Amino acid sequence: MNRVTTIRLIAGREITERLRGRATWILTGITTVVAVLLIVGPAVLRQPARTSVVGLVGPSAQALAPALEATAKAAGVDLTTMDVADDATAQSELTPKQPSGRGLRQSGGLFSSATATLDAALKLDTGSATIEFYQTISPSMAAVLRAVVQQAHQRDVLTQAGVSASAVAAAQQPEPIHTVTLQPAPSDLAGRSIAALAAGILLYVSVGIFGNAVASGVAQEKTSRTAEVLLGAVTPSELMTGKVIGIGLVGFGQMAITIGAALITNAVVQSSFVPSAVWVLLPAILLWFVLGYTLYAFGFAAAGAMVARQEEVQSVSAPFSVFLVGGFLLTYALIASPNAPWVKIVSYLPPLMPVMMPARLALGHVAVWEMPLAILIMLASIYWVARLAGRIYATSLVRGGARLSWRAALRSR
Amino acid sequence: MLEISELYQRFGDRVAVDKLSLAVNGGEIVGLVGRNGAGKTTTMRAVMGIYEPIAGSIRWSGHAVGLPDRLRFGYMPEERGLYPQMRVLDQIAYFAQLHGVERPSATTQAQRWITKLGLDGRQLDRVVALSHGNQQRVQLAVALVYQPDLLVLDEPFAGLDPSAVDSLSDVLRAETKRGTAVLFSSHQLDLVERLCDRIVILDQGRVLASGTLDELRARVPQRLRVKVATSTDWVANLKGVVVLTKDPEGVVLAVTTGMDTQAVLRLAMEAGHVEFFGFESGGLVELYRQLVVD
Repeated sequence: MNRVTTIRLIAGREITERLRGRATWILTGITTVVAVLLIVGPAVLRQPARTSVVGLVGPSAQALAPALEATAKAAGVDLTTMDVADDATAQSELTPKQPSGRGLRQSGGLFSSATATLDAALKLDTGSATIEFYQTISPSMAAVLRAVVQQAHQRDVLTQAGVSASAVAAAQQPEPIHTVTLQPAPSDLAGRSIAALAAGILLYVSVGIFGNAVASGVAQEKTSRTAEVLLGAVTPSELMTGKVIGIGLVGFGQMAITIGAALITNAVVQSSFVPSAVWVLLPAILLWFVLGYTLYAFGFAAAGAMVARQEEVQSVSAPFSVFLVGGFLLTYALIASPNAPWVKIVSYLPPLMPVMMPARLALGHVAVWEMPLAILIMLASIYWVARLAGRIYATSLVRGGARLSWRAALRSR
Repeated sequence: MLEISELYQRFGDRVAVDKLSLAVNGGEIVGLVGRNGAGKTTTMRAVMGIYEPIAGSIRWSGHAVGLPDRLRFGYMPEERGLYPQMRVLDQIAYFAQLHGVERPSATTQAQRWITKLGLDGRQLDRVVALSHGNQQRVQLAVALVYQPDLLVLDEPFAGLDPSAVDSLSDVLRAETKRGTAVLFSSHQLDLVERLCDRIVILDQGRVLASGTLDELRARVPQRLRVKVATSTDWVANLKGVVVLTKDPEGVVLAVTTGMDTQAVLRLAMEAGHVEFFGFESGGLVELYRQLVVD
């Protein structure tokens, strides 16, 4: 029997047994539901965009309506005006009221709160102006209102000083200002940040779960002495490789189901929270799962072979878990400063790469040449880790007695 | 034929096997006996390639044992070596496939051994759900399903009830009729005596004695037990006789060449009423005690 057939048999057993287990399906169900909810949730929960309404109290304020709407339009503020008879009415309309007799959609969504008719009110008195609002006012709306009041005041003063109306109008005509953006921010920056974090979580969790599954499986074969029986028919490297491939394929399938469900959901919902690069990002997550899992799985296999008891798996494989958690935590730093040189350098460290590279990709900060370079570094790392792990695995798997330390395992031949 | 020659294995400072040599022919059952730590399991693991011996050689049919040979060896470790959560039928068929049996045939053979070993109805049960005895049967099926040329069985009878012991003994005898060589270890000396064609007694990694039961018996001096109702002091009058033990059941004398047993009987009758006078067989238990315990 050749090596490929043997590895296929071992991997096949892993796949069959894991697909028969309830845990695999429960985990797949949970990750898929979470991914779908992450896409559907914001679309369901978001408040629809609404035009702000400013109440103009009294004739003098109402005379400013055209200027107010023009200024707001120029400033990019979605605003309209409403004439209000008196201050009491304005205050009543500024106070939020629970919606009644309207459909959920009309009232602003499934979880809408009480709403008010007016967002702000403007009242002009002789020599002063009053802006009223319920609790808060958006800075842009406040700026528009102040600018319009200021313009009206200037016009009155200049007119009284004998300046012609056309000259006043010309003076108040704003100078065109051009803006130049040196590094345009992605239009979906918020979505990309969330996607980076989600990619980090997904890869950290999945590589950790399936890596630990490898360690537990190897430890079980060792402590139950099944490895002794198996080694009569297969070599240690065939046994380790078959297990890593088998569990990896189950993990890949699970990830593919989750990501497939996410893509389909996004196509249906068309959530504005999901970045437009999702079609590149999600396959990239799958690719980095394969690379990251393979790198870690060999290490976890060596760790599993070193234990004397099944309960020791967690402590022996702790170094790998620390790297995975570290990679995930650094994703936050990556989101905060995606262009920092140290972030780029750290993202090339092989143990951190599987979590950080997809996060960088999600943020749109990976140059075209970086991805092939990162993949090459990972493939080289996998080769060396597999060789080292294979040596530890072969010598530790049938070794009795107390648990081996990493130092002792590396020294053993 | 399995030939182990000058096998040497050490773990740290402890020598587990010290220049051990033995052979197992096709169609022959060889029993390894010895106290815990005598080197039985280490020898078997070396045969199965689990350890690379420091020195010595293990040969099969005249050449050094390699993986292709081991695919034709069946192994049953001292502690069970099965996947606890795997179904019985799948488990046996899986090991058959690993040993080169094609899938359909592996399933057929697995089912055949399930029936043969009295596990019918348990095919779809997980191994962990079986009793100790039934797990032992599954382990045996795993070792036998690909019709091995050599069976290496470490304590295969441990913890089995008498009927299971009988059924396993029958299976081993049937396998030897097929030409299979069997090397097995056991602490149940009566069983070894009954089942084995040849016996190897180990202690501290060395072979203390080996041969057929008759050959081994011949190495034990015959013993003469005499019980006189009133006294054991009469033996003081015996000249040139070695007294092995004295206890309430009488005295035990080493029977040596030229010893006049009739003279012993006469002296005993003169001392009082002789309740027992007879030779004790030099069985394996006695030989073992004499070689290992004493």
